Amino acid sequence: MSKNNTHRADERALLDDRGYSGALIRGQNPALLFEKGVRDRIVDSYYWKEQCFGLNAATLCDRAAEVKFVGGTTGIMGKPTPFLCLAFKLLQLVPEKEVILEYLNFSTANLDYESDDDHVKSENGDEGPSHSNGVEDPNAAGKMGEFKYLRALAAFYIRLAWEPVEIYKTLEPLLTDFRKLKRRTKDGFAVTYMDQLVDDLLTKDRIFATSLWKLPSRANLEDLELLEPRESPLEGEVEALDMD
Amino acid sequence: MGDKAGAYGTSGGGDTAFRKTWDREEYAQKAAERDRKQKEEGKARYEAALEGKKYRRRASTPDDVRETEARSSRLDFSSMVGKTMLVPAGAGVGKRGRGAGFYCEACDLTFKDNIQYVEHLNSRQHLAATGQSGDVKRATVEEVRGRLLWLKRKKEDDARDVVIDLDSRLEMHKEREDAEREEKRRKRREKRKKGKADGEWDLPDIKYENDGII
Repeated sequence: MSKNNTHRADERALLDDRGYSGALIRGQNPALLFEKGVRDRIVDSYYWKEQCFGLNAATLCDRAAEVKFVGGTTGIMGKPTPFLCLAFKLLQLVPEKEVILEYLNFSTANLDYESDDDHVKSENGDEGPSHSNGVEDPNAAGKMGEFKYLRALAAFYIRLAWEPVEIYKTLEPLLTDFRKLKRRTKDGFAVTYMDQLVDDLLTKDRIFATSLWKLPSRANLEDLELLEPRESPLEGEVEALDMD
Repeated sequence: MGDKAGAYGTSGGGDTAFRKTWDREEYAQKAAERDRKQKEEGKARYEAALEGKKYRRRASTPDDVRETEARSSRLDFSSMVGKTMLVPAGAGVGKRGRGAGFYCEACDLTFKDNIQYVEHLNSRQHLAATGQSGDVKRATVEEVRGRLLWLKRKKEDDARDVVIDLDSRLEMHKEREDAEREEKRRKRREKRKKGKADGEWDLPDIKYENDGII
């Protein structure tokens, strides 16, 4: 049994006080991305104990398909939402890049799945109309993928775990996804949109009961020449307005 | 015992089949096995002593250990709500044995709380008792993709079964009720028929001596 093809079913190795020896994110234990209070509440919750035990990257999709809302902690007691518990499970699993891209961009627009390369390179899924031009068309048939909460989960994980350049490159195409999401706030529910969520991930400091680590701004990265300047899908419209 | 010939050359007196016979090979094998184990343990102890550590004899993993998998269905606690059961006197006390609460058969423990029960199901003790290793297989990209396809298909199938139109839903409900009523009527009729064959009343047959004449 090599360490590479199994991982532990519970979170004890992740949260061990004696020391963690497993995949690191930015040089530290992945669990430390969540605060101690939130971590404890997640691990003591019934959902985690019943449903998040013994998941791997494939069975996590089952749980994510049943998720009905995004959110951090709710109520006075700070009960964690299933979304947050699954995000913590992703931090425990530290899946490969290809798996996360699969979560993000799974779509059955073209039913023949040929190579893995398509999915690693294309960030928008292989939708026919939007694939031809380099700039994403905001009015493209925006129903990317069946499971929008799985996509939101993957986006949250990407924002927590990956490097800045990859974050911008992978999350920016999601700004064209305008689907509605149900969001559970401290008291009650609210409606939000996928592109609103992605924008919050890229700009805000705290979301879903975690403080996100500081992301260098796009301007910084463009100055360092690590990123191309952003071509907005709405650029054509804005120019048309200016000309009027 | 050789050929059971007596000291005087005669064959053994009578039937000695009641005496127990021993399969020598089997016991020879067992002895060899035991010697081997002792040697290994001795070697392990020696090596541990050399390192300055203490040797601890650990239970070995059984050969048919399974990998842990995620739960496929929710735990159902609501089935016993509101029911009243008669339990023996010590049912409320302690974890061991069957008592009032959620019972785990593999470990013979009872838990009073559903959280305790779920924690137990995840614990090392229970995993060992059910022959699971506590490791989960890592998933590859292909597996994830296959899983997502399967989920999509399941979702589509479920969506196809859902009927949104109120009228057709009412019709389906009416049909179901009619079918149930028919079933009940049929059962009642069968019972009544059987009743008529045995006699209207269910009185015991009393037998009189001398045909009732005093």
